[in-house]
Amino acid sequence: MEQWARREDRRLLTGRGQFVADMAVQNCLDAVFVRSGIAHGVVRDVDCAAAREVPGVVGVWSAADLSGLPACAHAAARLQDLPPVPHTLLAKLSTAEAVAGREWPALAKDRVRYAGEAVAVVVGEDRYRAEDGAAEVAVRIDPLPAVVTPSAAAGDSVLLFDGLSNTAFRGEAGTPIEETVWQEAAVVVEARYRQQLLMPTPMECRTILAVPEQDGRLTVWSGHQMPHRLRRELAALLGMPLDRIRVVVPDTGGAFGSKSAAFPEFVTVVYLAVMLGRPVRWIEDRLESMTAATRGRGQDQRVRLAADADGHLLAYELQIDADVGAYPHLGVGLPMQTAWMATGPYATPRVHASVRSVLTNTMVTYPYRGAGRPEATIALERSMDLLARRLGLDPAELRRRNFIPAEDFPYQTPTGRCYDSGNYAAALDLALETIGYDTWRAEQTRRRHDPRALPLGIGLSCYVERSGGEPGGLHDFAGIEAHEDGTIIARCGAASSGQSHETTFPALVAATLGVDESRVQLIEGDTDAQPEGLGSFASRSAQVDGAALHHASALLIDLARERAADLWGTPVEEVEWSDGSVHHVRDGSAAMDVAELVKATGPLSVDDRFESGMGFPFGAHVAVAEVDPELGTVRVLRLVVVDDCGVVLNPAIVRGQAFGSAVQGIGQALYEGIPYGDDGVPLLAGGLLDYLLPTATEVPPIEVKETRTPSPSTPLGAKGAGESGCIGTPAAIVNAVADALQIADPGLLQMPLTPDVVWRAARAAKYEGAR
Amino acid sequence: MKPAAFDYVAPRTVDEALNALGDTRRDVRVLAGGQSLILEMHLQRIRPDLVVDINRVAGLDRLSVNDGTVEIGALVRHGVFESPQAVPGPLGRLFALAAVNIAHPPIRARGTMVGSLAWAHPASEWCAIALALDAVIEVRSTGGAREIAARDYFRGPFQTARARDELITSLRFPLPAEDTGVGFIEHRRTHFCFAQVAVAAALTVHDGLISDVRIGLVNCADRPIRAHAAEQVLIGREVIVPAVGDRLPGGHPFARAGRIAADQDAAPLAEPYADPEYRRQVIAVLVGRTLRQAAEGVLQ
Amino acid sequence: MKITLTVNGDDYPLDVEPRRILADVLREDCRLTGTHLGCEHGVCGACTVLVDGQAVRSCLMLAVQCDGRSVRTVEGLAGPDGEPHPLQRAFSAEHALQCGFCTPGFLMVAAGALEADPAIGDDPERVHGLVESNICRCTGYEPIRRAIMRAAAESASLRRR
Repeated sequence: MEQWARREDRRLLTGRGQFVADMAVQNCLDAVFVRSGIAHGVVRDVDCAAAREVPGVVGVWSAADLSGLPACAHAAARLQDLPPVPHTLLAKLSTAEAVAGREWPALAKDRVRYAGEAVAVVVGEDRYRAEDGAAEVAVRIDPLPAVVTPSAAAGDSVLLFDGLSNTAFRGEAGTPIEETVWQEAAVVVEARYRQQLLMPTPMECRTILAVPEQDGRLTVWSGHQMPHRLRRELAALLGMPLDRIRVVVPDTGGAFGSKSAAFPEFVTVVYLAVMLGRPVRWIEDRLESMTAATRGRGQDQRVRLAADADGHLLAYELQIDADVGAYPHLGVGLPMQTAWMATGPYATPRVHASVRSVLTNTMVTYPYRGAGRPEATIALERSMDLLARRLGLDPAELRRRNFIPAEDFPYQTPTGRCYDSGNYAAALDLALETIGYDTWRAEQTRRRHDPRALPLGIGLSCYVERSGGEPGGLHDFAGIEAHEDGTIIARCGAASSGQSHETTFPALVAATLGVDESRVQLIEGDTDAQPEGLGSFASRSAQVDGAALHHASALLIDLARERAADLWGTPVEEVEWSDGSVHHVRDGSAAMDVAELVKATGPLSVDDRFESGMGFPFGAHVAVAEVDPELGTVRVLRLVVVDDCGVVLNPAIVRGQAFGSAVQGIGQALYEGIPYGDDGVPLLAGGLLDYLLPTATEVPPIEVKETRTPSPSTPLGAKGAGESGCIGTPAAIVNAVADALQIADPGLLQMPLTPDVVWRAARAAKYEGAR
Repeated sequence: MKPAAFDYVAPRTVDEALNALGDTRRDVRVLAGGQSLILEMHLQRIRPDLVVDINRVAGLDRLSVNDGTVEIGALVRHGVFESPQAVPGPLGRLFALAAVNIAHPPIRARGTMVGSLAWAHPASEWCAIALALDAVIEVRSTGGAREIAARDYFRGPFQTARARDELITSLRFPLPAEDTGVGFIEHRRTHFCFAQVAVAAALTVHDGLISDVRIGLVNCADRPIRAHAAEQVLIGREVIVPAVGDRLPGGHPFARAGRIAADQDAAPLAEPYADPEYRRQVIAVLVGRTLRQAAEGVLQ
Repeated sequence: MKITLTVNGDDYPLDVEPRRILADVLREDCRLTGTHLGCEHGVCGACTVLVDGQAVRSCLMLAVQCDGRSVRTVEGLAGPDGEPHPLQRAFSAEHALQCGFCTPGFLMVAAGALEADPAIGDDPERVHGLVESNICRCTGYEPIRRAIMRAAAESASLRRR
């Protein structure tokens, strides 16, 4: 154990990890999807006849082939036509009205609405043979005009669903701001920002393996964040009782928010496995992932920010046109997260955010690491820099004048959030001190007077985010069992996709019970072993599941004391727990390890549901960047990220996530984007040679530091960690580039800041007062 | 993303390979490094009937120097050229400057220089260098052998003068004069993508005046380009390199050559994140900087 | 086609279609699933293995190309007694993995270089060149760089002893 920093490490470093694609299952078939190369069109014909003749192909179906089927092969299921993809109204992130009449088919039948939408499925003896079959499916689609941005789609000149507006949802947070506020303010800045669509791109794409068992049950293996939700949705689709389905999440190669739904391919694969009575798996490949996996972000924003002459904020308005993608799923309500978090870390008296969620001919928009909070932070923090420039104020000073004071928590924001705790100025001060702010400002001044020097800029970004989930989804389930052999089993509803739960949670339980860490084992991601659960999303693992395990440990201690009291015939108040043992308060000799207690009195097990409050982690990120104005290249010289996620369970793990997250944030700022052709098809023929993730070459020197402001609303004082970089870093980088170029019109700098964008911005007019 | 089925042969001699290539009714592909071919097969943009794996053909991995010429066999991998000593003199230095821009070590361990010429991607570093330095491509078929000058070889994106039944057995470069300075600069969005633009330059100076200059442009048209017009304005000029850290003044011959290369020699196409206007800007800047790098090599 | 692969010292006589890539044959035919497929177009490097000691993308090689050659995968990194390779220990110590999906590829790129030149740690630029060969989406690469430097330093001190 000692030679591995994490319990996961031994198997993952020796090739013994078990990802879904690694599992050997007898007679398993591989599914491959035939996908539309057209972004929007009417399906005229899907001819599978030739494909069915291909050697090694077991079956080929279009949507039309999967309706009106005879009774299914699998006893437990009541199969009807291939069901649509389940929508979700979870956490109010979608609405029944948004979904009505806009169902997402598992296989498109009459109409395709995004490039990559599946129109047929082939199962073969292996992936090679299934692909041979897919190549023989003849698809005829008559193209329609396509719209790929919410601004373009909002006019309803092209309708995705005949007779229904493309606008699927409208919402707002805060109260509309009277015009007089803007008219009377000393300074008002306005801007438009595009939050480009991004691909979450976990290194392992989506996976599912459905195995019909002899006893009539169905086992589903999937790299997934929410196994219980997947079980519930699949059971409903198949008409199977919940307890006939087991969902297991083995090792999962990253998720970043993108692996929590029952996707169209999942619906189809599970349906086919049941229908055929044979194991079927779908191991998404990168090309599929790049056409048909969920996207993140996707907002067109308009902002107004007003301040008095001293730089005190008066009002902030954020209008969002959000990209839902082709079907209403979580992307409908997700932009409300941006609206609710629009206030940011400032004591702005008036804040109003409005959302219009619009269908477009793109794959569905969905949470991606940060999920609504980066969009809020980037809009506000870019505007703060703009305002500072207009006022002639140092951007750090402008922020200091407006932070919600540390003594004002809990703080009710105008956009409906109640921030639990914070010390925003402390985080900014630490970030500025760490990077050497004054020294860089001096260097900037020097360079501005040296015609040979490359322009240099310093960008600030102060953020506050939300973790744990929304009301109604702030709980999870956990259990603790003590066994005769001394083992303690900890169970919870989370599912790890790389967040080290197996290391962190047992350490927490061991510390709570006072036993050696090696005695505690974690079980999660298996709906048979842990009957109820919510999963891992919204940075909730430590804050919610950690707290739930802590709570269950306390319950186990209470139960053990009661048992010992019964056994010894003493009042329970006279039984104490310490270091994994019960003992009599007065008579130390009556001590008993919990394992002995189990031997004497039978199994000891507790289960409970536990609810946490929302957490509001925060921080300050500062970037220094230089620009080559002749080529438009941006070199980040230094990045400092200061994050505060309250009490930290395992600092090395949290720091590792903060670092990796910052690199993803750099990706959004500078490199990642999906270019579309006029026909609405993504221009990504070169795969990951076209969609550019940061490589080691692009990683600047990054320093990660933390402040620790415990949360009063969670028992461990922990807030969510791991999304900070995606939230805080992009605006720091963009602000640094804007600061280097001193451009008057911030709208010229839209992410990703590719060299051509920066070169054009570098040639544009400078703001007044620029040197 | 799996290759469609194909037949496979792994000949031991060039003649066996040529026989296999002679079946022109079928789509026959030569597998050397395979770092582009197998990728394209994964994407099923190429679905060959027959793959001729030449990796077991003896002698094709030879790299030799004789009579002022370097001969590079069809199996010499990119990675070999990372060392400036792999090839003597300025050519070795130029190859080393360029080689590190080709993908990354595991790809360079397999991919070959000759394979790059056969594939003829417009963003290939080697293709532009071969063109600029007057390389000669040796091809053989069952009908015999012939030589193709690089200037006659490139016909368009992925299109060359090589016939379908011909195998490129080697590539010959004349060794430039010892006092030639070389430069190579590549511009791309991240470490992991093809060049938006790259420039190779070789500059020879006699008595303080430029006597020979060669400028190869990577991804500045639908095929590699030699910037003849830009070269013309430099021949016979004095070489004055501005002090380190200074940008090239607009009137400097290298800057003017850059502008001419961008406006007259190049024919850049639109790509996401690089429209022709931006591309021309990059070409102008990179040509100037690469010439400067080459000139600094001369003056050292 | 009948071929024999020598993987981690063991001979695997196999009958494979020519089109099957090395990664699939290692995973499905040899049941060595430590080699992962992350992109199948040579970019991410999760599938990197050593062929005759050299790090290559196993998605861009056909298994038939490796007939009679020696292949080393992550399963063959540890010593015969199961003693972890210095790289495996260093990756853990430096938190150079989170989800672990890309990890085998990084390990093999580093192992190939470290075994070819145990002094590679003296040249941080070259170590950086190794790290920039592959994609990791979790760690941000810096811990991987530190891990390789750490393993290289350990190997160097073992040699001096």
